[in-house]
Amino acid sequence: MGAKRADGRVNRRMDEVRTGMHKQTVKAVAARRWQSSFALAACLVVVSAGIADVMATPRDQARRIHDRLAGVPPSAEILDQMEQRILSSNAVGAAYLAMDNRAFYDVTLKNWAAPWTNREGDVFVPLNDYSATVIGMVRDDVPFNTLLSADILYSGPSSLPGVAAYSPTSNAHYEDMERQGVNLMTQLQQQSQSALSGLPPEGTAGVMTTRAAAQAFFVAGTNRAMLRFTLMAHMCRDLEQVADTTRAPDRIRRDVSRSPGGDSRLFLNNCVSCHSGMDPLAQAFAYYDWDETARRISYSPGDVHPKYQLNADTFPYGFITTDASWDNYWREGQNSLLGWDPALPGSGYGAKSMGQELGNSGAFAQCQVEKVFRTVCLRSPENAADRQQVNTMVGAFRANNYQMKQVFAESAVYCMAD
Amino acid sequence: MSTIRQFPRLRTLAILAAAATLAACGSDVETQTNQPGAPPTSGAYSGPPPATEDTQAFMVNVWANLRLDTRCGGCHGTDGTSPTFVRSDDVNLAYQAVSGLANLTSPGDSMLVAMVADGHNCWLASNQACADLMIRWIGDWAGGDGLQGREIELTPPPQKSVSDSRTLPADPGLFQTTVYPLLNDFCASCHSGSVANGVAPFFGDGDVNVAYDAAKARMNLDNPAQSRFVVRLGSEFHNCWSGNCVADAQAMENAIASLASQIPLTQVDPNLVTSMALGLFDGIIAAGGNRYESSQIAFWEFKEGAGTQAFDTSGVEPAINLNLSGEATWFGGWGIDLRGGKAQGSVASSRKLHSLIRATGEYSIEAWVVPANVVQEEVPIVSYSAGGMLRNFTLGQTQYNYDFLNRSDATSAAGTPALSTPAAAEVLQATLQHVVATWDPVGGRQIYVNGELVVMSDPSGGGLLNDWDDSFAFVLGNDPSSGNPWEGVVRLVAIHNRALNPEQIAQNVEAGVGERFFLLFNVSDHVGLANSYILLEGSQFDSYAYLLAEPRFINLDGAGDPGSIPLEGMRVGVNGVVGTVGQTFAKLDTTIGGSAYEPSTGQYLSRQAAVISLQSGPDIDEFFLSFERLGASTNVFVEATPQAPAIADSAPGSRIGLRTFDRLNATMSAVTGIPVTETDVRDTFTLVRQQLPSIDSLDTFVSAHQIGVTQLAIEYCNALLEDTARRSSYFPGLDFNASPNVALAGAGRDLLLDPLIDRMMGVGLQSQPVRNDVRNELSALIDRLSSCGGSCPAGRTVTIGKATCAAMLGNATMLVH
Repeated sequence: MGAKRADGRVNRRMDEVRTGMHKQTVKAVAARRWQSSFALAACLVVVSAGIADVMATPRDQARRIHDRLAGVPPSAEILDQMEQRILSSNAVGAAYLAMDNRAFYDVTLKNWAAPWTNREGDVFVPLNDYSATVIGMVRDDVPFNTLLSADILYSGPSSLPGVAAYSPTSNAHYEDMERQGVNLMTQLQQQSQSALSGLPPEGTAGVMTTRAAAQAFFVAGTNRAMLRFTLMAHMCRDLEQVADTTRAPDRIRRDVSRSPGGDSRLFLNNCVSCHSGMDPLAQAFAYYDWDETARRISYSPGDVHPKYQLNADTFPYGFITTDASWDNYWREGQNSLLGWDPALPGSGYGAKSMGQELGNSGAFAQCQVEKVFRTVCLRSPENAADRQQVNTMVGAFRANNYQMKQVFAESAVYCMAD
Repeated sequence: MSTIRQFPRLRTLAILAAAATLAACGSDVETQTNQPGAPPTSGAYSGPPPATEDTQAFMVNVWANLRLDTRCGGCHGTDGTSPTFVRSDDVNLAYQAVSGLANLTSPGDSMLVAMVADGHNCWLASNQACADLMIRWIGDWAGGDGLQGREIELTPPPQKSVSDSRTLPADPGLFQTTVYPLLNDFCASCHSGSVANGVAPFFGDGDVNVAYDAAKARMNLDNPAQSRFVVRLGSEFHNCWSGNCVADAQAMENAIASLASQIPLTQVDPNLVTSMALGLFDGIIAAGGNRYESSQIAFWEFKEGAGTQAFDTSGVEPAINLNLSGEATWFGGWGIDLRGGKAQGSVASSRKLHSLIRATGEYSIEAWVVPANVVQEEVPIVSYSAGGMLRNFTLGQTQYNYDFLNRSDATSAAGTPALSTPAAAEVLQATLQHVVATWDPVGGRQIYVNGELVVMSDPSGGGLLNDWDDSFAFVLGNDPSSGNPWEGVVRLVAIHNRALNPEQIAQNVEAGVGERFFLLFNVSDHVGLANSYILLEGSQFDSYAYLLAEPRFINLDGAGDPGSIPLEGMRVGVNGVVGTVGQTFAKLDTTIGGSAYEPSTGQYLSRQAAVISLQSGPDIDEFFLSFERLGASTNVFVEATPQAPAIADSAPGSRIGLRTFDRLNATMSAVTGIPVTETDVRDTFTLVRQQLPSIDSLDTFVSAHQIGVTQLAIEYCNALLEDTARRSSYFPGLDFNASPNVALAGAGRDLLLDPLIDRMMGVGLQSQPVRNDVRNELSALIDRLSSCGGSCPAGRTVTIGKATCAAMLGNATMLVH
């Protein structure tokens, strides 16, 4: 592997390993006595072994595809089959073969989705209904543009040994599945979210109304977090990237000071740039909350949650939320570049239609593709060729009913000879 | 006359329909007169007693306050200059003389007020403060009615078209070469922050940026002769530097004209559908006096805007005039901005708090404040103290909490323990808030924020104030020693010697703070109805913006239903330009007329307010409204088409990376055949999971990662080699019970290495290390581990197998992909 050999960082890091081995205490396990010997050997294998050239052969490309998609090396048999498919100009077919490995679901997709389900972006969080739903939707090629709006949820069968039954008040079902090593590729079952969670169908909004998302983003606060973290996870933009001071501030709630610390410049130059677009969108969540006592999502159609009226004296002239109607002010101005669907009205009532607004935008599709590209190629698009590839995949993604596996396959093929 | 109620929480108004007049407060609030303070003495009065009750009221409230030689008595006393309205020989004659000088219906319109406001022998450094005191005294004479509930007549403002204008540039360069030299040469000895006892505003400061900010509001580019700088020199003769004020004023006017001539005119877009234009002060004053003030004994509104003193205009003598020191500047729209400085009264004048509060045994501290942040701790906002350890009272801040400390027989000399608002409630915010701290001898302390009772009970209970010390000083924003600064803006402070009740506090919250105006924007031409206006309540919001609130359509003739007039997309323009930021009414889409329209009150268009950037200052900035549609006039607002930003190439990143934690675990499981759920394996993985790489970038790899990889590899290999069936299956033909020199010699070594290399590294891959190189390394390891001197202990072959397995499994051929 010429690239490996050429990359001095590997050697440098391995030198660190060698040094570190003498400094740190390693957990006592079966064969303590030979730890230093084998570790040294481990380093030497990399340092001194003759490494062949780049990904020149179809077999190496097949191995790369499998490694990147499933996260694990293929068996010899699968590698042979993938090699043959590549030789037959069916590299995408080879990628689909790799995605038949359960690790693609148990590992790659689980780790892909985990950071989206919590504020810290922690990848170590347990499997939950949010990440399981992402995994299931990818597996079943459910149109991914419904991720933020569908009445859908994935869970395991009710009869799995050692696995608690699904409950809207606990994550134990998913944690047990992970602990028991349940095969997510075969065991996840598509469910009606409304049937499981008790939300009315019109109150469901894909992963945004999962238990995990509610716990992370509807807890306390003002529900703006749900929009912000959804933007970050699925539009690949934090608020700084959509800031626009020129949007009308008429929907900014009363809890936002227009003169923070006595200086309205802060509001006019900073606060307004996010809140003017964020608040009219986050109004879609006016009926939701995380019930800390019941440990579940709370939904009160028709009753705006009191958190929307917090700190009303901060600016009494601010907007008063009376319902869950939302408007997308970002359809105009610089954020019109996010590619909003002209077939949608740009306004609505409740989280479901707002999720459709986000999910059908060009930025959403672009974001999903770029996330896959990053996961599979281990890097971001960095030049015109990469960007062209991403654009091509975005086009195919939207044209082919938002099938996410296709994106994974095409990305893996694009990077197989990197 | 009909009374209408404005939107919740906003001040109530009454409009007289036909006359189109406004009342400054709702009729549902009982107004109170201020208690008479002890007037200053200037010799005992020995003349005839007041003949009437009104004369008595005049005597107590006005005459006694003005008869001092240092005020009006020096000239207008007995045998003095006519009118002798403060003559001491006969108060009844003084009463006759004051006729025509005082307007009891509208004290602010009194001649006495106008005279001192124009600087006629004002006894304070601030004409505004003298005028305020005069209004208060006349209002007290009138029984308070003059201060509250007065009707405001809506009269057409000056009709000015929206005109081209000049706007000061952001860069101070032009200013620096034109006006600044005069200011820096002749004004900097006082108006600079870098001189001792510098007087704000600092338009002569050595830092031209500081000077420019302070000077903007004092330069009228469209009419240089009306600039404040010019008027101050030419008409008020303020510190002319040459001895010839006319010449100095002309020099200043020339400099400002030179500046203006170099700034291009901003052309008004001819396509705009606009109202007529208005300056803030073209509006009709809306700020009423409907505060509850009957127990008010000290009062600061900070209207001065310049100088180093904030005057106590409670009318209760002695006035506690506060000296500003340190980082204390004036705040636009009334207030002081404290950033380490303080405003402190003298011990002598502060003593009135001691005497008047101890007389009643109760009091309230009332303030409109804007804390600068929510991180400062145990800092005083309003304090009557000698420092941190000795105080009579302190209203302070600790992060999100207001603290109230009061010295009584139930608390310490420092007023501790403090009573604080609940931390979890986070009631203190870095925004404009009304806070009242009350004390009464039964219930003790309470704290109200924005009219809401936040702290209901005082664990220390009530008590007596007998231990109060009259040698303390009243101070804002710091301890008297200046050692504990609070940062924020104080916009109003009042001290009452009664514990205000919730209704009284609510009344003062409703009264608001700062100066407000009714701005009438003429839109008659667009709606086809004479004397038709869009009315907004305007004010200076802070030093950097205006607030324009609650637009409504009104016809000053009280015309009937105007029909159906569409109004869409209203925006506020300033100085000929419609800005893009803060246009709260841009989405407005409504129809004037119909059931929503009342001839007497007009029609509300929105309950909201726009915050619009201040440009040159309230003396100069000129507002107008523009519409996308108003009546038959339209101007489609077209946004510029945004351009997608160009994306630059980034540096090429690595094409390879690390397997992260779950991938490592799954990979080890896949190549060893040991399930991830195997107990020992799962336990070890759980142990090292967060020690393993969590992101794939090679740059992030550290030695701790390798330790984790090693531990996990050992565990997998242990599970593989310790299980007879598994190892037999994985390494068919290898006799693990034989000694190493037998089992791992010759072909036996292949039986160990081939399965490991084939399954863990793969076969036929050019992207992996050369197989023989790897094999040689592992073989050398086996050789070293087999050197037992011919007497290897039992199980050595298994141990070597585990070592070799772990070396193969835990290295970069697996870790990097």
